[in-house]
This record gives sequence, structure tokens and C-alpha cells, in this order.
Amino acid sequence: MTNRKRTLEYVWIILVILTIFAYLLGYLKIISTSLVAVLLVTTFIKGALVSDYFMGLKDVKMKYRFIPIIWLGVIILLIGVAYYLPI
Amino acid sequence: MSKNMDVEKNLLPPGDFGIWIIIYVELLTFGLFFIGYAFSRRANIEMFNTSQLMLNQTSGFINTLILVTSSYFVAKGVHIMQTMTQDNIKEANKKASQWITFAIICGIAFLFIKGAEFVHIFGEGITLSTNKFFMFYLLLTMFHFMHVGLGTVILFNIRQRTKTSGYTPDDTRGFESGASYWHMVDLLWIVLFPLVYIIR
Repeated sequence: MTNRKRTLEYVWIILVILTIFAYLLGYLKIISTSLVAVLLVTTFIKGALVSDYFMGLKDVKMKYRFIPIIWLGVIILLIGVAYYLPI
Repeated sequence: MSKNMDVEKNLLPPGDFGIWIIIYVELLTFGLFFIGYAFSRRANIEMFNTSQLMLNQTSGFINTLILVTSSYFVAKGVHIMQTMTQDNIKEANKKASQWITFAIICGIAFLFIKGAEFVHIFGEGITLSTNKFFMFYLLLTMFHFMHVGLGTVILFNIRQRTKTSGYTPDDTRGFESGASYWHMVDLLWIVLFPLVYIIR
């Protein structure tokens, strides 16, 4: 029980750190083509953490666990395709 | 019997099945908007980048922190509900109520900050028809704003029920359903923030 309580705290800290990272990329105007890929990966990680630990889907049947994860993966992938595909 | 029920409970997502249908539909709807934004940007990169400069990244950042933190508070409340026993119903409801109160405060803070952002944007004379960037920005954020509003009302109702120790070890589904909806609102913003405010 204590482990799960601690896990929620760790997940929240990771989410805050990744949010600060995303903000600094924009605020300091250092967002570049290659950093967009990093930003998209960190966005996927944040979404997966919310889905698994906050929504509590980590321990449910695989199909239920993976619906939001697949949604997130497809959306992030298509955003990446739209950004990187040559015009 | 009780053990079997616990095992079965763990195999299914928390909350009612109906809320998950709503969540999947919402994810799909917002997902289409996100993809629409990303591909529209390809055809108008300069205009999207120029228009994006008019947004306040700091308020978007603060709102992200607020939603992520509120989601954490709600998860703490759910954890208390799921570990509640017949012996500590009153205490568990009271503790969960406190976490939900913190989450409600976060929800109201989000609405206030986002509302101020809308006032500023509309004050600049920007509307849905200004350009494609602002059409997507206003549709996505206003649609999301309404979801935060509804989520806050749901959390308020959950809080009211915890006040009367209305949740028991055999009946926490309503709490879990409302919590799942709130996490969905957070999940959507986690994608929306970098897409609309940061990527250029």
C-alpha cells in the first residue's frame, strides 16, 4: 500500500519535471526540429504515466490498458509525421 | 466469493463501463482535432508560427501544472477509497473529501486562468474566423474548457457524497468514474499544451 502511495508521488514529480522541460523549450525559444521529437516522446511518457498510474489502468486487462496508450501513440506519431514529412 | 470479486474488479478499468465509453469517444473526438491541427499547420507554417506568438505560454504552463497536480490529488482520493475497509468508512470518506477539495480548487484555478486568457484573446479582436490557427486554438481550448467545467462539477458532487460518508468498500464506482473522467481531461491537456503552445 505504501509503495503505491509513493508511486503516485514519483509519477507526479516526473510529470512536473517533464512539463517544466516542455515549457523551457518554448519560453527560451530553443525549440528546434530535433527537439520537437524529444518533446513528442516526453509527451507520450507523460500521457502513459497518467493512464497507467493516475487512471489506474496498469493492472487491468491488457486490452483496456492499451486503448488509451494506443490512442496516445497514434496521435503523437501522426503529429510527428505532420511535422517532419517534407512539404 | 469476495476474493473472486476483487480479482474481477482489478481486471476491469476503475469506475462504470459507461464512463469508459464516454472517455473513448472524447479521446477519439479530440484526437481528430489534434491531427487536423497538425496537418493544417503543414500548409500554413508561417501563419501558425506567427499566430502562436500571441499566446501566453506561461499561463499554458501554469495550467498544465495545475491539471497534473489536480490529477494527483484525485488519484490519492481514489487510492483511499480502494483501500477503505468496513472499519474506517467515515475516516476514509473524510480524507478522500480533502483530496477532492484540493482538486476542485485546482479546477477552479484552471478555469480562472483560461478564462482570463480568453478575455485577452477576444479583447485583441480575435475570433474563430481570424485564421485557421485561432479557429483550432479556440475550438480545442474552449471545448476542453467546458470539459474542465463539467469535471469540476462532477468532483463537487463526489465531494458532497463523501461528506455524508456515502462511499463504502462495496460502492466506490461513482467516485472512480468521476476520477477517470478528470484524468481524461488531464490527459487531453497533456497533448494539447505542447501541440498548440510549444511546437513551432
